[in-house]
Amino acid sequence: MTVQPTTVQPTTGGPLLEVRDLKVSFGPVRALDGVSLELAPGPFGLALVGESGSGKTTAGRAILRLVSAAGGTVRFEGQDVLALRGRRLRDYRRAAQIVFQDADNSLDPRMRIGTAIGEVLKVHGDRGTDRVAALLSEAALDPALASRYPHQLSGGQRQRVAIARALAVSPRLLVLDEPTSALDVTAQARILALIRRLRTERALAYLLITHNLAIVPELCERTAVLYLGRVVETGPTADLLARPAHPYTLALCSAVPEVDPATRRTRIILPGDTPRAGSQPGGCPFHPRCPLAVDRCRVTVPPSHEVAPGHHAACHRAEEVLAGLRPPGASAQLADGG
Amino acid sequence: MKLELRDLEVSFAGQRDRPVASVGELAVDAGEIVGVAGESGSGKSMMILAVLGLAGTAGATVTGSVRLDGQELIGMSGAGLRAIRGRRIAAIFQSPALAFNPVYRVGRIVHRTLRLHGLSAAAAGARAEEAMRSVLLDPHLLRRYPSQLSGGQLQRVAIALALALRAEVLLADEPTSALDVTVQAEVLELLRELRDERGMAILFVSHDLAVIAELCDRVAVMRAGQVVETGPVGQVTTAPRHDYTRELLAAVPRLEVRP
Amino acid sequence: MRRLLRLSGASPLITTGGAVALLIVLVALLAPLVAPFPADAGSATHPEFALQAPSLHHLFGTDQVGRDVFTRVLYGARVSPLIALFVLVIACVVGIPLGVVAGYFGGVLDEVIMRVTDVFLAFPSLLLSLAFAAVLPPSLTSLTIAIAITWWPWYTRLIRGQAASVAGRPYVESCRALGLPAWRILLRHVLPNAVTPLIVQVSLDFGGVILTASALSFLGLGAQDPTPDWGLMVAEGQNYFTTQWWLVTYPGLAILLTALAFNLLGDGLRDVLDPRRVIVR
Repeated sequence: MTVQPTTVQPTTGGPLLEVRDLKVSFGPVRALDGVSLELAPGPFGLALVGESGSGKTTAGRAILRLVSAAGGTVRFEGQDVLALRGRRLRDYRRAAQIVFQDADNSLDPRMRIGTAIGEVLKVHGDRGTDRVAALLSEAALDPALASRYPHQLSGGQRQRVAIARALAVSPRLLVLDEPTSALDVTAQARILALIRRLRTERALAYLLITHNLAIVPELCERTAVLYLGRVVETGPTADLLARPAHPYTLALCSAVPEVDPATRRTRIILPGDTPRAGSQPGGCPFHPRCPLAVDRCRVTVPPSHEVAPGHHAACHRAEEVLAGLRPPGASAQLADGG
Repeated sequence: MKLELRDLEVSFAGQRDRPVASVGELAVDAGEIVGVAGESGSGKSMMILAVLGLAGTAGATVTGSVRLDGQELIGMSGAGLRAIRGRRIAAIFQSPALAFNPVYRVGRIVHRTLRLHGLSAAAAGARAEEAMRSVLLDPHLLRRYPSQLSGGQLQRVAIALALALRAEVLLADEPTSALDVTVQAEVLELLRELRDERGMAILFVSHDLAVIAELCDRVAVMRAGQVVETGPVGQVTTAPRHDYTRELLAAVPRLEVRP
Repeated sequence: MRRLLRLSGASPLITTGGAVALLIVLVALLAPLVAPFPADAGSATHPEFALQAPSLHHLFGTDQVGRDVFTRVLYGARVSPLIALFVLVIACVVGIPLGVVAGYFGGVLDEVIMRVTDVFLAFPSLLLSLAFAAVLPPSLTSLTIAIAITWWPWYTRLIRGQAASVAGRPYVESCRALGLPAWRILLRHVLPNAVTPLIVQVSLDFGGVILTASALSFLGLGAQDPTPDWGLMVAEGQNYFTTQWWLVTYPGLAILLTALAFNLLGDGLRDVLDPRRVIVR
């Protein structure tokens, strides 16, 4: 598969995607409150992890100009994306694509899937039904399925059609919004394997938005953890999971259920529920639920600072957490051995 | 055994030879959590409906035996089943928002249900409050509408209702699949308490093997309407006998940290 | 074609309604061949045979100027349903694009379109049609226009809600993300998914338009003598109602039958097109 040339000229050496201080509001609700991210050119994976209200889905949408940003910058290959319009916006939409969470609803129920994929190709100037067949087989689907309607396929198959459609324009950046949340565990495993394969074959860079930490290590080199519209920790995935520097990451890791009792971690139960977007309290957004909060946390917003090479955390006690500080009752180790 | 399923078959009219759910033998004892692991289409949800005597509303017919403390539920009269549903066998489902009528305050639904099962107004109020505290929710949340509560809170209210009715058996159909992972951890902890402190018999249906492995004492694996393997959860997860179980286990992503 | 046949067998309502509707269409097409006195549908008059009761010779009797009522009823099948067809086509052609655009784009465009629609909807439709029909020279064309003007706003409102709902669905958002131009999204994705309730409504409205056209003709605004419009026939025959009942009854029955047939068809369509149909045994 060759990558299609576009009018957007890549700058050499710089990051593929650079997000600085992105803010998004829906009326009075501040869904994103200054999010900064960076993606290297492919093959590369950045995981955006968070629960409901974290703003992770909004971040993906804002990057692709599906919702409007209230502030900050988004640079794709050096170009300011938020200012694009017309033809250049359309070109950007070729280079950066999205696969939605809800496989059931992301395909037009009245259109055969072959037609749906073909339509995308037609709009962007490519023709030929053989391209449709090629895309379907690349997504591990039988090309004969092109004549089927979405409701005649399984959830996993529909998701793969959505991926094939996104790949039709040969994007360099793929945003995967909860690609497996609506799927059974075996279908999920197949989709994850597909993403891994596509990553290698197409030198794809992707932003994996998910609440399921367990799927992150096999797909993403770096991880960013979001809470209430802010990035609370970001770093190399292995580092972040083995030696987290933020209490929320700690709690999140501890909450992931494991089949193997040996790898289980002591649950850190956070009081209350995940807060609704936009309900930021004063000081650190996490302090009302944080088991390690001190007075300072209620007053000052902790800035994101580097606690280890390439590893940033926004916590007043980040260094202590990194060094092993745990809430009473939780085990000091998190992952296997450590 | 508190709840016993034997030769239970749920099928749709005209397809009696291809049941959507077929359970040879499944039992849950008081103070035990039994998991039913399966993907969509495995028939696990139909099984839950059959136990509640609600399979008919989906157009299915049920044969076999479901016994609660030895009392046969299949074929019981509508009145008999209504007395049991909620009161002795409670159920919580995947989408808690769908379980509550959005035009009523949550407390009203809880109250009404308690009253329908014979409690006086005063007793209903007291029980509801006590139950809310047991699930770590402030009783004043009962005055909210379902849309004002989060998924986790609603699920806990549903559990509170089961508690208030002093249900002996709890059927849980994917109760945490729609919840955030930290909230899921809380709800699972709550279920453990119900088992340990109240001796509830819990049947926990889920497609997430990791959750089942952590929560349940025994597990039955279902595929395409059939139970393919049962056993203590430790045994099934470490030494699976059936290929499908192996396939399921292999597909579960693990939070391992590569060195 | 196969789907059409399967659809028609899907519910007894569709089968019955569809059969009768088909019959009416056939009558309309074959009237010149089947009617015993074709000239009577035009300007022929036979005063010497006026007001004869139904007999083998004149199945539905004759009217006040001696024309065969049966013939006129048969020919009427070419008039009223055709008016209904034109009205509905105009209403759709005007109403659907407005509604789809309003629903999809929202904002100012939506406000403007809906306020204009509201103005039309504020008037009782029959009165509004009357007003227009009274102003225009009485003819079938004026009748059609007058009714169509009051009919399109309902479709705009109906489809606007649907379009707005569809516009919010993930697959439409996907289309935007994939760079599809707006016109394409509207035409190929929003419209097909929003139009189902409208299809049902249109078939239900067939009867409604016929009744409205009949009422207007009855009041003298619309079809003129000697056009064999059913409504007009009822109007002309009303003075003789108590004695020569056949002048009013047979055209009236024809109106009833047509309206009923399309109502049944619409009901059946609604049942069949609803994807959430659950058959409870």
